[in-house]
Amino acid sequence: MNIDTRKRELVKELSPMLEKSSLLSKIWIAALISIILVGLYAFVLQLANGHEVTGMRDNVVWGIYIVNFIFFVCLSYSGAFIAGVLHFFETPLKNSIARIVEITTVLSLIIGPVFILLCIGRLDRLYYLFLYPRIQSPISWDIIAILTDLIGCFVYLYLTFIPDLAILRDASKENAEVPNWRKKMYRFLAIGYQGTPSQHKRLHKIIRIMSVMIIAMAIVAYSVLAWIFSLTVQPGWNSTIFAPYFIISGLYSGIAVIIIAMYIIRKFYKLEKYITKIHFFAGGVMLLIISLLYGYFTFSEYFSRWFSHKKHDVDLLNTLFSRYFWQFIFANYFGILMPIAILFFKKLRTVKLVTIAAIISVLGIWLNKYLIVVPTLETPYLPIQDTRAEFVHYTATWVEWSLSLTGIAAFCLFFTLILKFVPAIPMSGIIDLEKGKQSKREKNNPIVTEF
Amino acid sequence: MKINLLKYIKITSFLVALLLNIHSNAQESDASNYNMSFEFKTVKQHDNSRLLEASFTGKNKEDRKDVIPMFDAEIKFFNVLNEDEVLLGAAKTSQAGIAQITLPENQKYLTDEDGNINLVARFEGNVNVEESSAEIVVKNIYLELNLEEIDSVKTVLVSAFTIDELGDKIPLEEEIDIVLYVQGMLSKMKIAEGSISEGAYEFEFPTDLPGDVKGDVTVFSIIEGHEEYGTVIQKKNAKWGVFQQQIKKTKNTLWSSAAPIWMYVVLTILLVGVWANYIYTIINLFIIRKEGKDLELETES
Amino acid sequence: MKKKQTEEGGTDRRKFLKLGLMTSLTAITGASIVTSLAAQEEEKEPTGEMIRLLTPDGKIVEVNASNINKYPEALITPEESRKGIPDRKFVMVIDLAKCKNARKCVEECQKAHKLDEHQEFMKIQLIQNHEEGQPYWFPKPCFHCDEPPCVIVCPTGATFKRDDGIVLINNERCIGCKFCVTSCPYSARQFNWGHKEKFDDKSQPYSPETGVPAAEGTVMKCDFCPDLLRQGQLPHCAKACPMGVIYFGDKNEDIVTNGEETVRFSQLINDRGGYRHLEHLGTKPNVYYLPAVNRQFPLERGFDIDEEIKERYKDVPYVQELKKQGKI
Repeated sequence: MNIDTRKRELVKELSPMLEKSSLLSKIWIAALISIILVGLYAFVLQLANGHEVTGMRDNVVWGIYIVNFIFFVCLSYSGAFIAGVLHFFETPLKNSIARIVEITTVLSLIIGPVFILLCIGRLDRLYYLFLYPRIQSPISWDIIAILTDLIGCFVYLYLTFIPDLAILRDASKENAEVPNWRKKMYRFLAIGYQGTPSQHKRLHKIIRIMSVMIIAMAIVAYSVLAWIFSLTVQPGWNSTIFAPYFIISGLYSGIAVIIIAMYIIRKFYKLEKYITKIHFFAGGVMLLIISLLYGYFTFSEYFSRWFSHKKHDVDLLNTLFSRYFWQFIFANYFGILMPIAILFFKKLRTVKLVTIAAIISVLGIWLNKYLIVVPTLETPYLPIQDTRAEFVHYTATWVEWSLSLTGIAAFCLFFTLILKFVPAIPMSGIIDLEKGKQSKREKNNPIVTEF
Repeated sequence: MKINLLKYIKITSFLVALLLNIHSNAQESDASNYNMSFEFKTVKQHDNSRLLEASFTGKNKEDRKDVIPMFDAEIKFFNVLNEDEVLLGAAKTSQAGIAQITLPENQKYLTDEDGNINLVARFEGNVNVEESSAEIVVKNIYLELNLEEIDSVKTVLVSAFTIDELGDKIPLEEEIDIVLYVQGMLSKMKIAEGSISEGAYEFEFPTDLPGDVKGDVTVFSIIEGHEEYGTVIQKKNAKWGVFQQQIKKTKNTLWSSAAPIWMYVVLTILLVGVWANYIYTIINLFIIRKEGKDLELETES
Repeated sequence: MKKKQTEEGGTDRRKFLKLGLMTSLTAITGASIVTSLAAQEEEKEPTGEMIRLLTPDGKIVEVNASNINKYPEALITPEESRKGIPDRKFVMVIDLAKCKNARKCVEECQKAHKLDEHQEFMKIQLIQNHEEGQPYWFPKPCFHCDEPPCVIVCPTGATFKRDDGIVLINNERCIGCKFCVTSCPYSARQFNWGHKEKFDDKSQPYSPETGVPAAEGTVMKCDFCPDLLRQGQLPHCAKACPMGVIYFGDKNEDIVTNGEETVRFSQLINDRGGYRHLEHLGTKPNVYYLPAVNRQFPLERGFDIDEEIKERYKDVPYVQELKKQGKI
């Protein structure tokens, strides 16, 4: 097998994704941009009128913005973890989804903190966080951890782009169809990677080190996020297992989102050859294992509160089961048991059903985060009295909903745009795989060339 | 002509009515449903000066809780003996309705046969407000306060006396009530209530009062509102407080501005470890780039 | 001809005179209308609280109350406000046996800190310890804890604990993350959600010790009125309470006062069984409560208030009972 011809074949196969944009993708991007524009309008409204336009008031001061923040950072964690783990185990499956996983990681880590910014009352004083930091505050830890994690994941993503950019650069040298700016971009970003053995070795060395670092950073970042809640004294938040619980729920939602992304990309770019049924099968098994763990953690949380029936825990559970009854049932019963039921049976692990299970999981996790953040604020130690009626309960306003949808739309949009830049399946990975297979074959059946 | 005149009269009277109406709206209501209340008292202060205080307020006839102080009214204070009136001073009432003058220790008063000083405070009335005045009769007595340790017991000794023409101290014969206070930051705290008999009063000072941070205590002895002597105040300082709080300077805690030291250490270790790794990665990227460039130059040449 | 001329001249002169009179009268009226309107405009400007005074000629007038904290001369800047009043440890004792929800403390505090009608630094809760107990009125300011959870979590150091025990907020440093609001177990903090006109009033320079003017997007709470303490006066709530429920003082000198009574702090706590709320959370609050024993008033007396405020207690089971029985 000639590496160069193989590279050209791959480029020919995968580059239509990059250059052409079909009608469907144009409509898709237009829809996303329109959602984002509505969200921008909502943001301007919030900037001009203050946080009064949201539903947050004096008792429930954290609402959907914080829920979205936790949710997106939680996605990123699982991306980092899976990317790192996949890199360790050189499975043939890993290559096809590695890029999707890494892009999910970076994008959700960019979008998550934007939601925190929406929740801050005085954006004009944001730099005080760096001018007058207090390191005893969990928020300071969170800022440091997320920034570091973001940079790490970004560097890691870029490292995995380099070989593919090199292939694209070489392939586009002769191709007149590729616009000049693209050629220049590939050349610049591929930083002179020629695929020589020493470069290859060096690159893979630093990728390996970074992958370990990312797993560690992600654990730290997500624990710190959980500590923002569990280091307070509030009922419902002051739990000892919050950090592991958040990590497990991160894995859960992350795998689910990756499955959904796999499904959409496979369908849209017609990559059935690379993202196969086996991927969905394996993803389904992982989702099953994690969902069992996640269900176990959720059960421990609520069961011990219910059993030891301390007064404030009982008040919290009453709120959960009266005002948020259907959300609680969906998030913590249906959202866990349904995916388990689907994924438990081998026969049911088809592509479509696994994706449906993943969608249910994602919705369940989002609601679970909502039920962690808001009901605690509605049932504080001292009963909410002597305040206005609207300060007692929390209902999100259209501004908050539209900004949440904007976050999701921005995620999808950036994902799509990146996939126009580099192919969804790492080409260098395919080549490495095939090289590996060939060398294994040669080891087993040495071909004697006679000349 | 007649019609014209009428028209003019109409307009003129309208304008005049407008004028009067506006001016009357600019004024506030008058005090016709308020009763004036005038009070007068005297306090002998710790440096033996005498304070004369007059309080002039208006009380609503219907709502007894509605009390408005009289502001900027001139009150004159007189020392009266039979028909003679000596003007001691004058003062204007403050926004709280209180007018005060302070007379020094060596002020000479006209006294009657029993040694009483007659004092009058008067507001000279006008068309709208009637004249108000009040009179009090007071005897001049002196209060002395001593804080001594007698047999290692902290004792407060109070003596009350008058000074006769020869300058001798004559202890007070009658019994008067006296109250002892200790000065706090916002108010005085009562520590004893008793009566001066034969011109003296003794009190054992409590042994567990902290006093202020340096252990200082200011003791007040006050005769309150006596009909013959008015209010008499005397005070003295002593280091009798037993303040022993060790002021624990809480530094480097979770809630102080400087964090616990171990937090700084852990943070530095973590950050240095992670960022060192990033820098290592970036250095390697530069090496790859250099290698690639060299290779390119080679192949080109 | 001449007669006609003089006649005409006469009429003209009369007309001219009449015109002159009318114009001058209109001018005077117009001018006085304008000046009195202008004067009324000036009076309506919110320059501070108005107090009523009697003048010596028997009229009642309204004047501006003098600036109660003597700013700007006595201004304590945000940097200075981080060091407390030296050698003090402020403490408050609230006597629950005497509280009858008169709400004068709430109103005075609102006036002093220029709060809106529905913003309260001091909240009056209706607490029932357990099902067998009678509910009691529970005034709740900020407790100025010795180990404050709110200070621990502030990322910029906008809220801080001083050496005299007071926890203050510097509204010029606060970024509005609301972490302190979520971490206070006593729900003592409030947030300024939107822009209000009163924030534009720059007539008084800002000091964390008064908290006036507040700023949009920042946090605020009870501050134990340090500006009054520096002048040797009680905080507004303690001064205003008609029942003498709120005692305030210095733990170092062991004296607290409610304006009428001055007692030793340790004696008050030990004789009357003073306790702190939610002691087990380890926040070490500086507001002590004297239990609601030997109550001086029936609970229903406390419902002698506006309907809108009564509605705020509708979730208390005892109140629902009373409503059923028709007592309120």
